[in-house]
Amino acid sequence: MEAAQAPEARGDELLVVNDVKKYFPITRGIIFQKQIGSVQAVDGVSFSVKKGETLGIVGESGCGKSTLARCIVKLLDTTGGGISFDGRDITKLSRTAMRPIRREMTMIFQDPYASLNPRKRVGFIIGEPLEVHNLGSSSEIKMRVQELLEVVGLNPEHYNRFPHEFSGGQRQRIGVARALAVNPKLIVCDEPVSALDVSVQAQILNLLKDLQDDFGLTYIFIAHDLNVVRHISDRVLVMYLGKVVEIASRDLLYAEPKHPYTGALLSAVPIANPALGRKREPIVLEGDVPSPVNPPSACHFHPRCPRFVQGHCDVEEPPLYPFGNGHVAACHYPLERWPMSADEIRRASSPVQSPSSQSREELPA
Amino acid sequence: MALLEVKDLRTSFHTEDGIVGAVDGVSFSLEKGETLGIVGESGSGKSVTCLTIMGLNAKRNTVSSGEALWKGKNLLDMKPRELRDVRGNEISMIFQDPMTSLNPVQTIGNQLIEAVQLHRDVSQRVARARAVELLKAVGIPRAEGRIDDYPHQFSGGMRQRVMIAMALINDPDLLIADEPTTALDVTTQAQIINLMKRLQEDFGSAIIFITHDLGVVAETADDVLVMYAARVVEHADVDQLFGRPQHPYTWGLMGSLPRLETDLDRLIQIPGQPPSLLRPPAGCRFHPRCPHVMEVCKTTVPELVPTQRDPEHLQACHLDEETKDREAAKLLEATMAKAG
Amino acid sequence: MFRYLIRRILWAVLLFIVITFVTFVIFFMGPNDPARAQCGGDQAQPACLKLVTEHYGLDKPIYVQYWRFFKRLVFQQNLGHSYATGQSINQAIGKAAPVTASLVFGGAILWMIMGLLIGVYSALKPRSLLDRTAMVFVLIGISAHPVWIGLIFEYLFGVKLKWTPIANYANFFGAPKDSGLPGGPWQWFYHMILPWCTFAILFAALYARMIRANVMETLNEDFVRTARAKGAPERRVLFSHVLRNALLPVVTMLGMDIGVALGGAIFTETVYQLPGLGRSLIIGVQSNDFATVQGVVVFATIAILLFNLIVDVLYAWIDPRIRLT
Ligand SMILES: Nc1ncnc2c1ncn2[C@@H]1O[C@H](COP(=O)(O)OP(=O)(O)OP(=O)(O)O)[C@@H](O)[C@H]1O
Ligand SMILES: Nc1ncnc2c1ncn2[C@@H]1O[C@H](COP(=O)(O)OP(=O)(O)OP(=O)(O)O)[C@@H](O)[C@H]1O
Ligand SMILES: [Mg+2]
Ligand SMILES: [Mg+2]
Repeated sequence: MEAAQAPEARGDELLVVNDVKKYFPITRGIIFQKQIGSVQAVDGVSFSVKKGETLGIVGESGCGKSTLARCIVKLLDTTGGGISFDGRDITKLSRTAMRPIRREMTMIFQDPYASLNPRKRVGFIIGEPLEVHNLGSSSEIKMRVQELLEVVGLNPEHYNRFPHEFSGGQRQRIGVARALAVNPKLIVCDEPVSALDVSVQAQILNLLKDLQDDFGLTYIFIAHDLNVVRHISDRVLVMYLGKVVEIASRDLLYAEPKHPYTGALLSAVPIANPALGRKREPIVLEGDVPSPVNPPSACHFHPRCPRFVQGHCDVEEPPLYPFGNGHVAACHYPLERWPMSADEIRRASSPVQSPSSQSREELPA
Repeated sequence: MALLEVKDLRTSFHTEDGIVGAVDGVSFSLEKGETLGIVGESGSGKSVTCLTIMGLNAKRNTVSSGEALWKGKNLLDMKPRELRDVRGNEISMIFQDPMTSLNPVQTIGNQLIEAVQLHRDVSQRVARARAVELLKAVGIPRAEGRIDDYPHQFSGGMRQRVMIAMALINDPDLLIADEPTTALDVTTQAQIINLMKRLQEDFGSAIIFITHDLGVVAETADDVLVMYAARVVEHADVDQLFGRPQHPYTWGLMGSLPRLETDLDRLIQIPGQPPSLLRPPAGCRFHPRCPHVMEVCKTTVPELVPTQRDPEHLQACHLDEETKDREAAKLLEATMAKAG
Repeated sequence: MFRYLIRRILWAVLLFIVITFVTFVIFFMGPNDPARAQCGGDQAQPACLKLVTEHYGLDKPIYVQYWRFFKRLVFQQNLGHSYATGQSINQAIGKAAPVTASLVFGGAILWMIMGLLIGVYSALKPRSLLDRTAMVFVLIGISAHPVWIGLIFEYLFGVKLKWTPIANYANFFGAPKDSGLPGGPWQWFYHMILPWCTFAILFAALYARMIRANVMETLNEDFVRTARAKGAPERRVLFSHVLRNALLPVVTMLGMDIGVALGGAIFTETVYQLPGLGRSLIIGVQSNDFATVQGVVVFATIAILLFNLIVDVLYAWIDPRIRLT
C-alpha cells in the first residue's frame, strides 16, 4: 500500500479527497483465513468540496457511493489515499483525535425506516450525538432538541414519540435533525430521498436547501435520481464502478456532458412532459454493471460503451482530462456536443481528436 | 366492447384498528393495445386496485364490490377455475418488488416452465424452449446457461426481467405492471421501459402501468389515472393531463417534481400529510391540503365529471373551470419555463 | 459444497473434544472415587484399591488420563470396560443403542407426521374450530412432563383398556431363543406404540406450532402471490411453493432437536423400562460407573454430531442459497 498523501487544502476548500481507495477483502476458510480477492468498491477517487457548496454524487446502484460516503465520515477506514477536512488530514487520526472532528461532519442515511432505532424516543435519537459529545446538561439538550424539531418542520411536542408513529417523510426529517444536532460543517446525505415519493421528496429537498441558506452548511448529496441531484447540487460528480468518470459544475454537466456514461445517464431520465419525452431517444446501455471484484481492464466502462475503441479503451486507462472551468472527464473519446442520438454517438467514435493532445497544447509546458 | 371495464370498484380491509377503505369507487376502461398509467402517492390504493382485479387480495377480512368486466365477464364473481384460466394466461401481472417475487428455492427455468405448462398442454422440452426464448427476448445474456440458476444469483434488474418474461410467456392480452422500475436505477429503468414498449408493439397487449414517477408515466402511458386517498381524482389522455391538468392534487404532484428541463429554486411542495384511510376527511379528501379549498369542499364529495371542453377528460374538483385553467397555465409556465 | 463439508467436520471434531473433556472433568472433580466403587465400596481392601488405581491410571493427572482415553478411543475404537460390572462398554452400547434408536427415530417420524398435519392444516384455516382445538393440544403437549404423560398413557391404554403392553422391549429381529421374551417386527411395533406416543407428544406440539407459523408466514410471501397470478391451483401453490420454503427452517430444527430428544428419551425409557442408552446412563450414574457414563456420552455425542452434519448437508441441498457459503 502506498503511503497516504496528505492532500493540500487551499483556502476555501472544506474537504479534499485524494486518491481514496476502499477494498473489501473476500476471504475463505474459518480457521485459516485466506484472502482470495477483493471488492474494489472505491478505487482511487479524488475531488474537493468548497465551503457552503453542495457536491452531488450520482451513479448506478453498487458503484460505491455509500462506501465512499462512509469513508469520508470515517465510518469505514480507507485502504489507501488521503482525506483532509478543514485543513487537517483525518486518515491517520486516532479514535480520540478524531472525536472533535466527528462533530463537524455528520451523515444522513439512505433508509428512513431502518436508520432510526425503533425502541428509542425521538427526543433521545436526536439528542444522542449531543450527549455523546458532552454538549450540555440534559435540560440544555432537551431545549436544543426541541429547537431542532422546529427547524426541520416537526412539532416540539413530538419529543416523546417513537419513530414508528411517523410517516416516511417525517422520519427522514428526524434523520436530518439528528445530523444537525451537533452543528456540523459538512453533512453527507446518502440517498436521503430515494425511498420517498415525489411530494415528500419535495419537502425534504426544500428543507435541506433552507438549512443550507440559514446555517451555511456544506453538503455531499448522493442520489441516483439525476433530477434531484441537479436540483440541489452546485457541482456534480459521476461515479462508475468505483471510479470518478466526470466532475463538472451542475450547468456544464447537464448541458455538455463529456463522458458517454454521463450521456447515457442523462438520456435515460424520463421527462415528465409527454411532448418532449416522445422526442427523447435514450441511449440504452446493454448488460448489467460488471462486478467490482474483477472490473474490466483500463476504462471500466468499455464493455458497455457505445463508442468503445478496441486496442485503446481496453488497454490505456483514461486520466481525468480537463475541459475548462473545472470540468474533467475520464474518456479518450469524449462527446462533442449534447444532446446526441445513440446513432451519432456510435458513428462519431473513430476520428475524434483525443483531448489529451488538445489539453497538452493548452497547458504551458 | 372494451377489453377491460372496471366499474365502481371498492375494496376494504377489516383490520384491528378499523375498516381501511383502500379503493373507493374506481372506474376506468381499457382497449386493446392501450397503456393506462396509474399515478398517486404511496398508499393511495394503486396496487390494491390491480390486486382486486386479479382477485389476489387475501381472502380474509377483505371485502370487494363493483365490477371488473374482462371481455364482458365479471372477474369479481368468476369461479376459481375460470379465474385461474384468465390469470397468467390472458392477464398477467408484474409485482412491485422483484427481489421477493420469485420463489427462492426453485430455478428460474422451473418457474417459467410452470407458467407455460399451467396453461398449455406442452411437453417439458417445448416449455423450456419457450422459456429460453422469452429470457432472450427480455435481454438476459446467455439465456440457455442461466435458465437453471436460482433467483439469488441474479441482480435486481435481471430478476425484474425474469418477472417480465414470466408475465409475457403466454402472450397475455393485458399486462399489469406494478411499479416495475421503482426499485431499479435509471439505466436499468430505461432498459425495462424500452423492453415493455417493444413487446407491446410486437404482441399488441394492453398495459396497466402503476408508478409514482410522473416522468415514467409521461413516456409510457396513453391514458393516465391520478389516484388520491383511494379515489380517482383525475383521468385523462396523457397530453391533456400534462398539458392542462385540472385537479389541485395533480398540480401539486407536478410542482413537486424536480425536472431536468427547468430551473426552479424551490420545489412547490404539497403541504401536510396524506390522510389516513381509516378516517378519511369528509367531502373532497384533498381539502385539508388544498390551497384552493372552499366551504363546499369540506362537505360535498366532488363527482368525477368531464370538463366542458373535453368529454374524455374526467376530474373531481369543485373549482370552476376558469380558475383551473388559469392555475394550470400558471403551473406550466413555472415548471416548463425553459422547456420550449 | 466441499469446503462447507470440511468446515462442518472440523467443527464437529472440535465440539467432540470439548464435550468429552468436559464430561471427564466433571467426573474427575466429583466426590466419588471410582477405584473404591470397583472394589466393593466402603469395605474396599487397600490392595485392591492400589491395583485398580494403577490399572486404570487413576492417580495420573487429568490430561494424561484424558489422553489415554482419547488414544484408545481413536485408535482402537474401544470405550473400555465398565467399572461396575467389568463388561465391555462397546458391547453394552451395542445392545442398548438399537432400543434408543427405535424410540428416537420412530418418535421423530411420528412427531413430524403429527406436526405437519396439524401445523399445515391449522395454517390454512386459521381461527377455525380445528385450529383452536389443535392449539389447545399444543399447549398441553408443551406444558406436560413426559413422565406424567407416560404414566397417564400406561394407565389408560395399558392397564384400563388393555390395548397395549405397559413395559419392556421386543427385539425387531426376534428374541434370543429360549429367553421366553416376545420378538419380531410386530411385537416390536406393538411394544413401542406407547413409548413413541409419549416421546413424540412434546415435539409434535412444538413442531405443529412452528410449522403453523412458518406456513402462515410463507403464504404471505410475494412469490406465493406470483404463483397465484400465474394461475396455479391452490394445491400446487401449497405443495410446490409454500411447503418447501416453509419447511426449510424445520429441517435444521430437526437436526438440533434430535439431540435434545435423546435427553428426553431418558424419561421415556425409565417409565416403560426400555433397556436403552438412557437407562444405561442412569444406572451408570447411580453406581458411580464413570466408564459407562463416558461411553454413553461419547456415543451420543458422535450420533448427534453425525446427525447434525447430515441435516446440514440436506439443508444445503434443498436450499440453493446456502450452496455458495
Ligand atoms: N462490507 C462490505 N463487504 C464487501 N463488499 C461490500 C461491503 N459494502 C459494500 N460492498 C460492495 O461494494 C460495492 C459498492 O457498494 P455501495 O453500497 O457503496 O454502493 P452504492 O453505490 O451505495 O449502491 P446503492 O445505490 O445501491 O446504495 C458493491 O458491489 C457492494 O456489494
Ligand atoms: N392487506 C391489507 N390490510 C390492511 N390494509 C391494507 C392491506 N393492503 C393494503 N392496505 C392499505 O391500503 C392502502 C392502499 O395500499 P396500496 O398498496 O394500494 O398503495 P399503493 O398506492 O400501491 O402505494 P405504493 O406506491 O406504496 O405501492 C394503504 O393505506 C395500505 O396501508
Ligand atoms: Mg448506497
Ligand atoms: Mg403499490
